[in-house]
Amino acid sequence: MSEEKEVETTGHQWDEDEGYPLKEFNNPLPRWWLYSFYGTIVWAVIYWIFYPAWPLVTDYTRGLLGWSMHRQLDEELAQARALQKPFNDRLEKMGLAEITHDPQMLQYAVAGGKSIFGDNCAPCHGNGGTGSKSGGFPVLVDDDWLISGTIEGIANTITHGHVAMMPAHQKEYGGSFDAKQVDDLTQFVLSLSGQGGNKEAQARGAALFKGEAGCRHCHGDLGKGSARDTLDGAPMEKSIGAPNLTDAIWLYGSDEATVRQSIAKGRSGRMPAWGMGTEGTNHKLPPLAIKQVAVYVHSLGGGQ
Amino acid sequence: MNHASIEKSIPLMAILTLLVVAIGGLVEIVPLFYLKSTIEKVEGMRPYTPLELKGRDIYIREGCYNCHSQMIRPFRDEDQRYGHYSLAAESMYDHPFQWGSKRTGPDLARVGGKYSSLWHQAHMRRPKDVAPESVMPSYPWLEKTELDFADVGKRMEALAKVGVPYSREQITHAANDLKTQAGLNGELQGLQQRYGKRVTIGEREPGNHPITELDALIGYLQMLGTLVDFSVPQPQAR
Ligand code: HEC
Ligand code: HEC
Ligand code: HEC
Repeated sequence: MSEEKEVETTGHQWDEDEGYPLKEFNNPLPRWWLYSFYGTIVWAVIYWIFYPAWPLVTDYTRGLLGWSMHRQLDEELAQARALQKPFNDRLEKMGLAEITHDPQMLQYAVAGGKSIFGDNCAPCHGNGGTGSKSGGFPVLVDDDWLISGTIEGIANTITHGHVAMMPAHQKEYGGSFDAKQVDDLTQFVLSLSGQGGNKEAQARGAALFKGEAGCRHCHGDLGKGSARDTLDGAPMEKSIGAPNLTDAIWLYGSDEATVRQSIAKGRSGRMPAWGMGTEGTNHKLPPLAIKQVAVYVHSLGGGQ
Repeated sequence: MNHASIEKSIPLMAILTLLVVAIGGLVEIVPLFYLKSTIEKVEGMRPYTPLELKGRDIYIREGCYNCHSQMIRPFRDEDQRYGHYSLAAESMYDHPFQWGSKRTGPDLARVGGKYSSLWHQAHMRRPKDVAPESVMPSYPWLEKTELDFADVGKRMEALAKVGVPYSREQITHAANDLKTQAGLNGELQGLQQRYGKRVTIGEREPGNHPITELDALIGYLQMLGTLVDFSVPQPQAR
């Protein structure tokens, strides 16, 4: 540096012997920078006064505004509730059938029900209620109901849940029939929906179905399921939820191996009880949400 | 002390630098260890059962935390989707915690009890079977791999050393408790006496099969977020 500026130095000098001593300048900071810096300090102090800031011995300073993240959440939730309150109050008072006849409330209930369904039901019943065979999760868009397709029936299923009890029938799995008898039963069940061809096995299976194996006590005299079939001419207990075996709609699958597995090992599809809260968990829907989602399911196409 | 003497002594400079930098850490971290509001006292928290612990190890081994968080933040949309925000107490027995930082999939902090075990089996086998648009990988080997739980007692001992309050009794009964919870007929009363009523017993298909890694993983998932009962008001940090 040839032209030395008139700047303050820190007083340090190095390499004096070389003739060109190194000096450390103490240039003033740019004004704008300096004042911004002071500004942030002032801001910090204001922040400490109004917001939670410093840890103390047993607590921390809470700030004059009393702001907290959790309180902010409570306020936001309260705000949302207030917005929905007029609609929810009306919905609360209306009966299920009444809602389906009031276009405005129907629209509100279906919209709410759709989002509740997406969060809670779609994982099993598929987006829009299209079902999934991988776990025996029933389709909800058709009119093939296991338990009931009326709007009250649907709401009841959602509230109380349903545990299917299809017992195991083969000896190895806790049943009382040997492998050959299970084969016969399988052939007969397939024949109900027009599949399979072994007539003799079917006849043996039919005898078991109606007799010793007791299948008809749940699936009905004709195998049409507890929701629509009869037992000795009398209507059946709907809560059994045994499916129709004579149609093309299957919970687990229509191929021989799958049907055989259903009979041999049994099945226990479980629909959670949303009004009760699954045991030991926090998953529970309030009555209003159940109403909305029942209206939504009923509106999917198969409602009776 | 003037500037020059600090600058010319490397050890002094190092010590003073450390001191200055440490202040930030001390002010931010140390109070968390003594302020009562850091970990709210809540009812229901208990150490993991042996089955849940093994499941948790599989969760970590498979890297589930790369796509799933376990940390519900106190925002309206998270509250409505996942439920009550996570409390620090809910991960007090986690070593290491599984808060995660990325959500390719949904938060799992309260997934326990949301689905049946049957659903989890189908989902882990092939997520697309139950959620056609899912990008979650399939984990079909978990249900085919027998769970090796010879080490579960040792793992509990190790955790006890870092502060998880496992009792002697819990550690000696580890293997049996694991089998009981997996659904092999065992001493259910003992298990509940050691871990409380909120233990989900595994659902097993009839017949004789070994306990699989999937059984353990589902045991862990079904417990997540279920220990604290939020239907009764809980004391929370304000
Ligand atoms: C864990 C999986 C799962 C979830 C989540 C689930 N369901 Fe189900 N649901 C089932 C199974 C399995 C059945 C069949 C039960 C049976 O066979 O007994 C069923 C049956 C039903 C039925 C009766 C269908 C009929 O044909 O009678 C209705 C209605 C229903 N679910 C609605 C819902 C609604 C609404 C939700 C969300 C609030 C929901 N489900 C969430 C698994 C589930
Ligand atoms: C105690 C009542 C009960 C008895 C007895 C019973 N079932 Fe079932 N069955 C059910 C129920 C409930 C389901 C639905 C299972 C589910 O949802 O997981 C079912 C499901 C099935 C399925 C699967 C249907 C599908 O759509 O995938 C077949 C096949 C079947 N039963 C055949 C039989 C045969 C054959 C017998 C006699 C050997 C029999 N059941 C006896 C209640 C019963
Ligand atoms: C590549 C990212 C990715 C990885 C790795 C991953 N998941 Fe997922 N997971 C997802 C996505 C995306 C979804 C949402 C779609 C679905 O349900 O499959 C999901 C959904 C889930 C759900 C359902 C959550 C809910 O509330 O609906 C569970 C449970 C789950 N994953 C468990 C696991 C476990 C256990 C592992 C480790 C063995 C794992 N995931 C690994 C991406 C991932």
